[in-house]
Amino acid sequence: MAFDPSVNTKASGKAWSLARGYFVILSLPVLFLLLFFLWPLFTVVTRSFGVDEPLFAHFLTVFDRSSYIKVLGYTFQVAATVTVLCLLIAYPVAALIARLRGGWLQISFALILVPFWTSTVIRTYAWMVLFQRKGVINGFLLDLGLVDEPLRLMHNNIGVHIGMVHIMLPFMLLPLISAFRNIDPSFMRAAGVLGANPVRAFWHVYLPLSMPGVSAGVALVFITSLGFYITPALLGGAQNMMVAVLIEQQVSITVNWELASALATLLLLLTVALYILYDRVARRAGAGGVLE
Amino acid sequence: MMTWRTTGRVAKVAMVGFAAMVLLYLVMPTFVIVPMSFSDKLYLSFPPTEWSFRWYEAMAERVDYPQALWNSIKIGLPVALLATTFGTLAALGVVRGRFFGARPMSALVIAPLMLPQIILAIGLYPVMAKLGMAGTYPGVVIGHTVICIPLVFITVAASLKGYHPAYEYAAMTLGAGWWRTFWYVTFPMIRVGVIVGAILSFTFSFDELIIALFLTSPETRTLPRLLWEDLRQYVTPIIAAATTLVLCLSFVLFGALAVAQKRLQRDRSP
Repeated sequence: MAFDPSVNTKASGKAWSLARGYFVILSLPVLFLLLFFLWPLFTVVTRSFGVDEPLFAHFLTVFDRSSYIKVLGYTFQVAATVTVLCLLIAYPVAALIARLRGGWLQISFALILVPFWTSTVIRTYAWMVLFQRKGVINGFLLDLGLVDEPLRLMHNNIGVHIGMVHIMLPFMLLPLISAFRNIDPSFMRAAGVLGANPVRAFWHVYLPLSMPGVSAGVALVFITSLGFYITPALLGGAQNMMVAVLIEQQVSITVNWELASALATLLLLLTVALYILYDRVARRAGAGGVLE
Repeated sequence: MMTWRTTGRVAKVAMVGFAAMVLLYLVMPTFVIVPMSFSDKLYLSFPPTEWSFRWYEAMAERVDYPQALWNSIKIGLPVALLATTFGTLAALGVVRGRFFGARPMSALVIAPLMLPQIILAIGLYPVMAKLGMAGTYPGVVIGHTVICIPLVFITVAASLKGYHPAYEYAAMTLGAGWWRTFWYVTFPMIRVGVIVGAILSFTFSFDELIIALFLTSPETRTLPRLLWEDLRQYVTPIIAAATTLVLCLSFVLFGALAVAQKRLQRDRSP
């Protein structure tokens, strides 16, 4: 770019107010988010208090009815189980992939990212195709004579868990792989040379070093699972409902916006509280907080 | 010592087998759909006995599928544009600016991605109704943009952190104004991050269901919403055919993203 002295004086005046300039730049997206993100959240919270009802009336309704408590409990239980299953499955697989090089590494990454890039509706539909009474898995099992009657794989716990683990697994694998790749393999060799057997070396060296990846993956999978809608709505049963499905039903079927808002406010508080907790823990462990 | 070595070898074989099964589990549903769509029967059997295009023909006869696809594109493109603009501005402000309140502001920009979408959906509906935008294109475009801003913010902020702001100071010292500094120095440096953010935003909008359920009408409904409504009524292979088409589109976008990211790596390591 040619040097142009004519703009020199104008620009030098602005250079001293760089911070203010960036503040102006930031104000546009922030205004947009205040209007279309914080205002909607504010609407949800105020609606949950109702208009003429006594304070916390709708929250009391939630805690009063055992069916709503059951939904909240089930949501927590599913999120916890999915998180544990993802961790148990992803840990050894990620440890293996982290040691790959070249072509095999790229193939593994592609296989992890393919489902990541397919919409959740479509993937859940695929599980419906596989799980139906006359679906692929039942047809296969009946042909082989392994079962006499089609198994019930959908509209129950099994379907929800298999479907949700499938969707959340990449979110656990990716932070784990990146954490494992940061572990220097010579640490494990050093532990071996110093007389530790592989189990001991794993327990005292590898596992502690992998904790940043574990905590990031666990937080991501657990918090995302709490708000799951598509998979439990299609693969779940009427008996076991997750809270996002209940909120949507309260709006579209019962048209009870106040109760839906009260449930959404509870979900919001819970999510924010979990993020703050994770931020504290991650900071203390020196792994960087949510914003890093 | 010997026992550990044998155990290690067995463990390694077991781990490789397990990893192969897990990767198969990850991709299997995606690849079951494609042969399904070419099946001849109403009931989904695998592998299909006879191949045919009848579900593609049936899909083409339904006017709602092409319309929903077109709606998704009409919503996704403005979302990508708006989210890229806002997300880039936010990243510039937070990463380059040093002022009081930058941290809570970056928390505000990231937050929409972290909350369950159902909360935003039931909050946006009354707001959009008040503004007269419920069920319109601008309504759902704004809803998707809110969630896509953090996607762009994250990718662009990463690009901005990848080089020293001294380049920009140098340009300004040499007399370039705001716009010239951005256009000739900053933008070429963060270009790949911006493009990746835009592709991610379009893909997100193209896939998103919950906000679309609340903010679209039957005229503006997106493809995921139409698939969803079909799935709740009856499962026919028409959905598999539509899905296969969407998959093709996703893979084109995925390829574009892979190319963009490869260029990002190349730009980073001179």
